[in-house]
Amino acid sequence: MRKPERPHEHCCCRATRQATGSRWKEVTSERIMSPAATDAAESKPPDGGWGWMVVVGAHISIGFAYSTPKALSIFFKEIQEDLGASSSEIAWISSIMLAVMYAGGPVSSVLVKRFGSRPIVIVGGLMCGVSMVTASFGRSIVYLYLSIGIIGGCGLCFNLNASLTIISKYFLSKRPLANGLAMAGSPVFLCFLAPLNQFLLGDFGWRGSLLILGGMMLNCCVAGALMRPVTLSCNPSAVAALKNMETTTKHNMSKKGRCLTNARQFLDFSFFKDRGFIIYLMGNTMYIFGAYAPIVFLSAYAVSQGVEEYSAAYLLSIMGFVDMFVRPGTGLIANSKWIRPRIQYFFGFAMIFNGACHLLCPMMTSYAFLVGYAVFFGVGFGMVFALIFECLMDLMGNQRFPSAVGLVTIIECFPMLLGPPTAGLLVDLYGDYKYLFYMCGAVIMSGGLFLIIMNILHYHMLEKEKAEHNGARRSPETGNQDGVSLSEAQREPTEAESAPMNRDPQDPSTDDTGPDITDHF
Amino acid sequence: MIPGKRRAAVMLLSAAIVGAMLMQPVRSQNEPSIAASENVLLTFEEGSSPGIVLQCNLTSSYSAHKENFWMKNGEEIPETRQDNKNMELKLDRPRADAAGVYVCVYTFDNAPPANATIEIKSVPVITGHKRSENKNEGQRAVLHCKSLGYPHPIWTWHKVDNGGFKDIDNSTGRFFINSRDNYTELHIVNLDINADPGVYACNATNVIGSNKETSVLRVRSHLAPLWPLLGVLAEIIILIVIIVVYEKRKKPEDLQDDDDLGGPV
Repeated sequence: MRKPERPHEHCCCRATRQATGSRWKEVTSERIMSPAATDAAESKPPDGGWGWMVVVGAHISIGFAYSTPKALSIFFKEIQEDLGASSSEIAWISSIMLAVMYAGGPVSSVLVKRFGSRPIVIVGGLMCGVSMVTASFGRSIVYLYLSIGIIGGCGLCFNLNASLTIISKYFLSKRPLANGLAMAGSPVFLCFLAPLNQFLLGDFGWRGSLLILGGMMLNCCVAGALMRPVTLSCNPSAVAALKNMETTTKHNMSKKGRCLTNARQFLDFSFFKDRGFIIYLMGNTMYIFGAYAPIVFLSAYAVSQGVEEYSAAYLLSIMGFVDMFVRPGTGLIANSKWIRPRIQYFFGFAMIFNGACHLLCPMMTSYAFLVGYAVFFGVGFGMVFALIFECLMDLMGNQRFPSAVGLVTIIECFPMLLGPPTAGLLVDLYGDYKYLFYMCGAVIMSGGLFLIIMNILHYHMLEKEKAEHNGARRSPETGNQDGVSLSEAQREPTEAESAPMNRDPQDPSTDDTGPDITDHF
Repeated sequence: MIPGKRRAAVMLLSAAIVGAMLMQPVRSQNEPSIAASENVLLTFEEGSSPGIVLQCNLTSSYSAHKENFWMKNGEEIPETRQDNKNMELKLDRPRADAAGVYVCVYTFDNAPPANATIEIKSVPVITGHKRSENKNEGQRAVLHCKSLGYPHPIWTWHKVDNGGFKDIDNSTGRFFINSRDNYTELHIVNLDINADPGVYACNATNVIGSNKETSVLRVRSHLAPLWPLLGVLAEIIILIVIIVVYEKRKKPEDLQDDDDLGGPV
C-alpha cells in the first residue's frame, strides 16, 4: 500500500528544514515569506506580523471550543421540560461533547498534518454551525446527543487542534505570549456567551437560541480564514534531495512497513519512548483529574457554607474574570528571558499553586474568604492553562506537536470524565465538601511536585547524554539562543545524534527531524 | 281472686314502675356543653394584626374527659393535646394562611368526643402566580394562581385590554379553566400569535372580598430567530470576503519578493 503523496509537496520552492536550536544559524539568512514581510533579520517562524492576526483567529477558535460545552448548560432546564428528559440524561450532552472534543484529537492531528490548519478550522466551524442548527429541530434527546454531542464535539476538536498547531508554526520566541493570548479565548468567550445565552433563551426559546448560536459558531470559519498558511522560502537543491530520499525509501519499504506507517499516523506510540513526553503526560493527567471538580462544586459548597445562591453563582464569574487577565499575563511572564528556559518548572509551580489553593479552601467559611479563594483559583487555573500547551510545544517541537497534542487530548479524556463524578462520590459518601477539595488539592499538588522533580532528573540526564555525545563527536555549540527554552536547546542535538538510532530505517514518518512540508493550501 | 295471682300482679306492677323510674336518668342525661369564642374576621391593615386567641371551655359534661386538642381544616394541629378543660389557641401575627375552620375536640373515657367549631375568615390573598410566560406559537401555555384564605374563593379569569377587564373569548374553544379550592389554572392550547399575547388576570372572590393578580403572556413566532441569524451570517460573509480579498491583494507582491531572493544554505 503506497503512502499517498501529499498534494502540497508538489509546490516547489516551498520546503526547507524546520529549524530549531542551532540550525537557526543556517536559515537566518533566508527570507521568510510572511505577508507583513519585514527585513532579513527575521528568522523563521515569523514571530509577529500576520502572526498576531492568527492569534486572534486562534483566540476565537479556542474560545468557542472550551466555552460552548459549559455555556450550553444554560439551555438544559428548558430542553428538559420540552423533551421530557431527566437531569442526568441532559447532562450527558455536555459530557459527550467534551469527550468527543478530546477523543478526536488523533484524527484531527492527522488531518492537520495532511491539509494544514486553515481548511480544518473552516471545516470544524462548519460542522459546529451545522450541529447547532440541526439540534434546534430536535425532537428527542438521542437526536441532541448525536447533533450537539458528536458532530459538535468533532467540529470543536478540529478547531482546537488546528489552532494550537498553527500557533506553533507562526511563533517561536514569542510563543508563550501567543499561547497565553490564544488560550485566553476560553474565559473571554465564557463571560460573553453565558449572559448572551440567557438573553437568547428568554427571547427566542431554546430552539431559536440554538439556531442563532449555530450561526455565531460559523465565526470559527472566519477564524480559519485568518489562519493563512506559513509560506517558507525554498532551497531547491534540498527539496530535490529530499524527494529523492523519500521515493527511494518508499520503494524499499515493505508492505508491512507501509501499513505500520499509516497506522502510526493515528496513534504514534513512538512518543512513549520520549521521557519528557511521559513526564508531561503523567503530570497533566493528575492535573486534569482534579481540575474540574472544584469548578463544578464551588457554588454548592458556598451554599452549604451559608452563602445565598445568587452570590454563590457570582463566585464562578469572578474566577472567570480573573482567568481572562491571568492567561495573557502568564504568557508574558513565561516569555521573559528568566522564565522561558525554565518553563517546565514554571508549569510545575503553577500546578502546585493551584493545588495549594484547593487545600486551603475548606478553611474559607465566610463569603469574603470565598471570594479570595475564587480569585486565587482563577489565577492558578489561568496560569496552568496558559502554559499547558506551551509546555507541550516546548517539549515536542513544531514537527511532532500536532500528533503529540492529539495523543495527549485523547489520554486526557479519561481523567476529565472521571474527575467530577469521583469527587461527587466523595461528597455523597462523607456528606462534606471538604474532602473533595482535599482530594483535588492533593492530586494537583502531587502532579506539580512530580513534574518539577522529574524534570530536574530529566534535564540532568539530558546533560549527561549530551556530554557523552559531545565527547564522542564534535558538534556545533548549542547554547541557549534567543531565549529558547532548555528543552528545545537540549532536544536538538539529542535528536540529531540519536535520530539515526531510534528511527526505524524503513519508516520515514517517524523522522521528525526531516523537512517540514506542510501548510500549503 | 286467688291470693297468689294478686301477689304476682303487684310484683309485676312494682317491677314496671321501678324499671320506668330507673330509665329516667338515662333520658335526662345532657350532651356536654362547650363555650367557644366567636368567629373571627382577619384583616391585613398595617399595624393591626395583634394576634388572635381562640378559646374553648368545657362547661358541663357527664363523664370525665380524657384530653383535648385543636384541629385545623380537618387535620390535628401538632402539640396542642392537653387535659385542661379550658383550652386556648394563640395565633401571633396571623397571615392569610391562618384562615380556615378550627375545631376544638374533647375526648372522653366512656363517651364519644365532642367538639365546637370556630371559623377564621379572610379575603383571599393570591400567592403563587407567574409574572410572565413565554411560549412558542402552537404550544400550550398554562397560567396559574394560588390563594390563601377562607372560605375558598370562586375563580374567574379575564383578559386585560387597554386597562379594562374583558371576559375571555372562547369562541375558538382553546381556553380551559381548571379550578380547585384555592388553586386555578388557565390552559391555552395551540397558541395564536395574533390573538393570544397580552395580560391575563385571575380573580378570587369570596364572601369577604376579592383580589386579583396579572400575568403577561408572550408568544414567540417561529420565524423570530431568523432575522438575527441572517444578520450573523451576513457579518460572517462580509468578514470572510474582506480577509480573502486582502490576501489575494498581498499574494502577487509575495510572489514577486520570493523570486527576488534565493536563500543560500
